[in-house]
Amino acid sequence: MPRFRFIDASPGSTARRFILSGAGWFLAATLIGLLAAVELVAPDLVQSRYFLFPRIRPSHVNTNVFGFLSMMLIGAMLWAVSRLAQAPLWSEKLGNCTLWLWNAAVFAGMVSLPMGYTQSHEYGEYVWPIDVLIVAALALLALNIFKTLERRRERLLYVTNWYAIGAVVATLAVYFLGNVMWHPLTGALHGMNDAEWAWFYGHNIFGVWITPLALGLCYFWLPREADQPLYSHTLSLLGFWPYFAFYMQVGAHHLLEAPAPGWLKLIAEINSVGLLIPVYAFLANQWLTLRGRWWKIPGSVTLKFIFAGTVMYFFVSTQGALMALPSEQRLLHFTNWTVGHAHLGLLGFAGFIACGAGYGVLREMYGEFWSSRLAHLQYWFMLIGIAGFTFVLSYAGLVQGSAWRNGETVYRVLPELVVPYLARAILGTFIISGAAIQFYNFLRTIYGRAPVRMPWLAPEAGSLDAVAGG
Amino acid sequence: MGMTPRMVGVGMAIIASATAWSVLFLPGLTAPIRPSAIARRLTPLEARGRILYIRNGCIGCHTQYVRPSDWGLSALRVSQPGDYVYDQPHLLGSERTGPDLSQEGGQHTNDWHWAHFRDPRLTRPASIMPRFRFLSRPRMRALIAYVQSLGGKMADARMARQNDWHRRLLAAWRRGEDANADFLYRRVPAPWRVLPNPYPATQAALARGRFVYEQECINCHGPLGDGNGPAARYLLPRPFNFTLLKRHPWSGGLLYYQIMNGITGSAMPYFKQDLESAKIWDVSNYIAVEFIGKNIDSGETGSGIPAAREPAPPPRP
Repeated sequence: MPRFRFIDASPGSTARRFILSGAGWFLAATLIGLLAAVELVAPDLVQSRYFLFPRIRPSHVNTNVFGFLSMMLIGAMLWAVSRLAQAPLWSEKLGNCTLWLWNAAVFAGMVSLPMGYTQSHEYGEYVWPIDVLIVAALALLALNIFKTLERRRERLLYVTNWYAIGAVVATLAVYFLGNVMWHPLTGALHGMNDAEWAWFYGHNIFGVWITPLALGLCYFWLPREADQPLYSHTLSLLGFWPYFAFYMQVGAHHLLEAPAPGWLKLIAEINSVGLLIPVYAFLANQWLTLRGRWWKIPGSVTLKFIFAGTVMYFFVSTQGALMALPSEQRLLHFTNWTVGHAHLGLLGFAGFIACGAGYGVLREMYGEFWSSRLAHLQYWFMLIGIAGFTFVLSYAGLVQGSAWRNGETVYRVLPELVVPYLARAILGTFIISGAAIQFYNFLRTIYGRAPVRMPWLAPEAGSLDAVAGG
Repeated sequence: MGMTPRMVGVGMAIIASATAWSVLFLPGLTAPIRPSAIARRLTPLEARGRILYIRNGCIGCHTQYVRPSDWGLSALRVSQPGDYVYDQPHLLGSERTGPDLSQEGGQHTNDWHWAHFRDPRLTRPASIMPRFRFLSRPRMRALIAYVQSLGGKMADARMARQNDWHRRLLAAWRRGEDANADFLYRRVPAPWRVLPNPYPATQAALARGRFVYEQECINCHGPLGDGNGPAARYLLPRPFNFTLLKRHPWSGGLLYYQIMNGITGSAMPYFKQDLESAKIWDVSNYIAVEFIGKNIDSGETGSGIPAAREPAPPPRP
């Protein structure tokens, strides 16, 4: 085994390390989540202030979003970008620096949030120094992606690359603005204005960061695994530009019943429903790519994860558009329905695609991963976990919403939630098992197998024909 | 036209700036928000409490705005944009695992909050809120001051009333338990003092009453009804000892009135939001039969006759 280097310049090291870090954070974040879920059933379980539900909840969320999802998707995306450019990453050293910056930010966030260092905006809880780390890492990432694409040998810019560029550019803007980074102490504005900015950020961290990366990876892996070209490049245009144009305006649907300006809510509602156009264009494109190749799904771990991810994308997007309507919000706002929606979107859609893409990259790097059987087992654990999660949390949300509408107080409904909360904690163990299997499988693959030779990675590779279609 | 990195980057920058203009800057520019009638700045103590509220993640479970569709303890007034002008960051929240707190100030006394933060199960047995007993005394005071400020000037009015009654109740309580019982009796409007419980104290009613008592009352008033529940040591005046009523005038209506409205100035909260009227009558019957040892319901078994319209029974010693 080669000596460990912090800054590893070997080809593919950035992608590999991002993916492995993501898998590690997945396990850490879901363990935090399990503790939080258990505390909802047994509130006196833990006495230490650093492990109380309200303090670890943001740690669970941010470690998942910025640790697990971001890192795994970045790793897979860097791989895809360089693969599609048929050129190595511009700088593996810079990539490694980005990786350590990012890991430092996630670790600092995971520890500092339970210690009470928080800016209190949902998904934007990280304090200013961590924001700076993230923005710096994002800027380095953008530089690496742009420079890699500049030196691409394949002139055609495939749709995956659009999403990679779109995500880093838009997220740099959204992260800086949404975290109000020119106010280092509070990261906030005043009053309702602050709420509007915070939810612009809160929704867009999925809208322009997590989701575009996941969509781009679908475009990359699904045609390859199905062994069939993308159904339509025109449709992918329809799925791309309207997606960003609609998505960035939907933040205020989190404030439909708060005293925000009416026209702002209307913009959010219209765009939330309009978002279905690019979503369905994307899904049609993916599923039509699979036409005649559905039989390939069960055999490939990557395709399994990614196909399941697209199905959950269908459900979570349709659900999200309906949830942005005022009539539905009157029943379901503030309830666990929303928690179920968030888990379906982040774990069910983006998480599944991240896992599928992670396995895909490792298989390309090492020929095969350590245990294919374990990977399939992980898929079923996670599928049972997330399907059950969505079911019990939606059920809990309906119970809460209908009881509140009927005049019950929040306190009176609490006993009704014990069973769904317990079921959720139990189902969480399925997801954690999946995360543990994945981390183990990745570790054994990376440290147990010799990487295959990848001629297209060599900077001096001349002919592309040798690698086309691989 | 083929897509190039530059084109995607520039397109994205255009979308981002157009969106930022329309949904970020425009709301602030077109709708300058003035303080509402109830908004006020926090005192330094309350501001310290607000920081504790943020650092302990209270926003994860508690919202701070009332919607037009809301019921419940805090739904006194639909929130207005001007309520939040002094908030930085905003604490609107997005999840109601616990109750909304936008009008929490003055709903309970400080000693209730003290017991509640030490162990939420003391005051609210079904609560799933964690215990905040790690907070030092000055921090606890700051946090409670902040919670009591929620609702702005409406909260101030409620707090003034709480504090005023608290002084009077404390004085009565210090004069001895019999004087205290008399004082509480006189506070209840006369018609309620002679109103018999319209629900008969059947075995089923007593079982329901016991269920409610164990869910809502037992931690202060204790399993024997003598006011020695586990929360009692945090509260002043102490929870009422029902067995005292063996030598004082009382009625089902008196118990109902106190449970429904609470006793302003003491930790006894009002239950009109949490309990339907039948449940309050049932728990009144349970208290009467179990702790006072008497059943003075109206003796009715049928329905349709409002007991309050019948000639009042003579007050019993």
